[in-house]
Order: sequence, then C-alpha cells, then structure tokens
Amino acid sequence: MWLIALLVALVATIQIRSEVEVARSLVGIDPTSLAFLIDDLHRANDSLDAEKADLAQRRAALQSGESGAADQVLAAEANRLRALEGLVPVVGPGVVIVIEASGLTALDLQDALNNLAAGGAEAIDVNNRRVVTGVPVSQTGGGVSIDGVVVVAPWTISVIGDTNRLAAVADVMTQQMRADRRVRQATYRIEGSVVINSTISARPFVYAIAS
Amino acid sequence: MSPRNFASLVLLAMVALATGFVLAGQVRTQLLPPSNQVARYQALVRSVQELEATNAGYRREIAAVRAQIDSLETEAATRSAGTQALKNQVTDLRAHAGLIAMHGPGVEVELRNGVPGPDTGGLAGGYLVNFQDVQDVVNLLFAQGAEAIAVNGRRITPLTAFSGSAGQVVIDQGPPLSSAIKIAAVGDRNRMVAALGDSTALPDIRAREVQYQLHLSFQGSPDLSLPAYDSSLQIPHVNPT
Repeated sequence: MWLIALLVALVATIQIRSEVEVARSLVGIDPTSLAFLIDDLHRANDSLDAEKADLAQRRAALQSGESGAADQVLAAEANRLRALEGLVPVVGPGVVIVIEASGLTALDLQDALNNLAAGGAEAIDVNNRRVVTGVPVSQTGGGVSIDGVVVVAPWTISVIGDTNRLAAVADVMTQQMRADRRVRQATYRIEGSVVINSTISARPFVYAIAS
Repeated sequence: MSPRNFASLVLLAMVALATGFVLAGQVRTQLLPPSNQVARYQALVRSVQELEATNAGYRREIAAVRAQIDSLETEAATRSAGTQALKNQVTDLRAHAGLIAMHGPGVEVELRNGVPGPDTGGLAGGYLVNFQDVQDVVNLLFAQGAEAIAVNGRRITPLTAFSGSAGQVVIDQGPPLSSAIKIAAVGDRNRMVAALGDSTALPDIRAREVQYQLHLSFQGSPDLSLPAYDSSLQIPHVNPT
C-alpha cells in the first residue's frame, strides 16, 4: 500500500510540475514573438560560442608559459577594451546615417542608438561625439546633448560593425524616420572604412568598488 | 472481515482511484494529439527552453574561463613588474567594461507589469514592462551618476543593447527576462533617488502607471552588489587607428 501511495505522490508531482512549467512558459508570448526569441537566442549562442573560443585561445597562450605570452595577452586585451569603451579612435567597415530634422528629442536619439547597438554596432559617433552605453544622452533647453554637449541637427551617426546587419537596421530606421513629420531627410550609406576619431575620457570610479 | 481489514481495503480502493485519475490526466496531456497549432506552439516553446539552457551553459563556461585567465594573469604578474603594470591597466579597463563584480551605494528599481486596460487603443500590451522601459530607466540612472548597473543580475556594458517584444526584455546575449524586472545601480545614490522621484522623469512609464497600474518602485541602499558580465564583448570589425 505504501508503494502505491508513493507512486501516486510521484505521478502527481510530475503532473503538477509539468503543467506549471508549461503554464509559466506560455504566459503572454505569441508564436511570432517566440519565433523572434528563437532567432535572438540562436544569434546570442553563436556569439557566446565565439567568445568561448576566443577565451580558450587566451587561456592556452597563458598556459603555454612562453616568455612574454602574458604581456601579449594583456596588451591585446587592453587595446580591445580601450576601443570598446570609446577611449581611442577606431576605424572599420560600417554605415553613416544622416538625419536632417527639427524637434527630435533625446528619446529619439536614444532609441536610434539602441537600435544600432542591437543591430551589431561596435563603435558609434554622433556629430563627432563618441557614444557607448552609459554616456548620457539628455534633453536640455538647447536641444539634445551627448555627455553635456548639445548636438545640433543635422545628426551624422557614424557606426562601425557588420555592414550587412547595420545596413538592414539603417534601412528600416531611415524609412521610419522619413515618415515622421519632424524629419526633412534621413539617408544612409555603407562605407568600407568608417573613421571615428572622437573619444571618451576615462572616468575613475567614485562610488563603485571591485568586489 | 474485520473492521481493520475493511478500512484497509477502502483506503486501497481510494488510492487506486486517485492513481487512475492522475495517470489518466498524465496520459491525456502527453498522448492525446493536440491540434497542429498547439503542437507547433509547444515545439516553439521547447526550442526556446533548449536554447535558453544552452545559453546558460555557455555563460557559465565563459565566467569559469575568465576566472581561470585572471588567475593565470595574476600568477604571471608576480614574476614581472611590467606584467603587473599591464595587469593593473587591464583590471581597471575590465571594471569599466562590466567584466568585474562591483559593489557600493546605490539604488534598486523594480518594474512590474500592470493590468490590461479595457481600452488599449493603439497601446496593446501597454500594461507589460517592455525593453524600452528598462532602457529608459538605465539611461536615466547613467545620466544621474550611476557607475555600474545590472538588470536582473545581468551587467550592463558599453556595448549593451536592449530588445524584445510582448513583455520580454532581451539584454545582449542573455535569455529573455520578464516582469518583475529589478535594476540595481551603484553610484551617486542621492542623485539617482532624486531623479527617480522626479514626476517629470520617465513620462511614458508614469502615464502607464496611471492607465494600467504598471508598477515602478525604488529604494536607496548603502551597499549593493553587482555581478560581472558573463557574455560576449567581441568587436571583430573595430580596429584602433
């Protein structure tokens, strides 16, 4: 009899858990959104796989014990992080978007920058101001400012990254913008070599402490 | 038959009956052919779950290898002053890139879904927390003195992008997040709290707080801990000039 009771408990637990799991997963997600999620996750996992391979190479170089291996790995990492954080001028393939408009707000620029970041932007400059996530894009009395400096129209957004993905994003963005009554003109061009000379000054942490 | 035996038999019958019901339910959910639509939907859900599991596994591996690299670099730095100097530079750069766990004073913000309104004209899903809400809060916090931010334990980096749909928030290569969303920021606590309390800030969220009871709350903290970023920071198309 105890065996039967145990079986009941086991089956009931499986049943309840599977139903809860399915219910949790299905809440509020339509099939189209699920398809987009799958696409995003595939791309994300490919990026993570590439990062794993890169890290494994660095670890192997460090484990080799060869003279200067650590210095080489550290110097390469420092150069990459300086470029990523906007601390040095950079060059690479990408797109240049030009927007002539009046009345666009900081939110419009924030959305445009986020769309480009989601589309694979690796470095961005707006009217010779370098932008990375964390650089304040704010609304001021004089207009939209980047890190406290007002950027007046037309906005020239230079972006380095995968040109195929960036062009697709730029195409949709400029089409949407042209439908906006505030926008007089929105165009983009693909360039084999986009040069970004603007940089961000390194800021020491005041409050944050490494754990 | 003794009363004790009779009670045992009744109990056994009840247990057998319950077993039958539960087994029937289980078999029905697994074996009865659902409509094509449901089957396709379930296949999509399974794909998402499998990809999320792979994603989590990859991120664990990346965090582990980064820790091993850090350990090997630290060991190498003990043998050379030049290597130590390079290591210090990289550590500072990694901290600013979100690759090092940080702590300090700050603010915690919570965003939760509201309730669907009767009139959703043009704003279907307005009661759901979306990626733009998270993006707006993160931008506000950075503009008001945040030095490091994490969203549901996912660290924001210089390359971070927000995307998603239908109440799902995707940050970089992470899995989709949904309500409740918790944003933790380390930095100038007083400035951040004052900005979040300003009724003119975050106008879209404020409007949906009224219309859909979307929930925004925040609380200052003397010491918040943020994890390190555990995903990719590849920039294969960028070269320093």
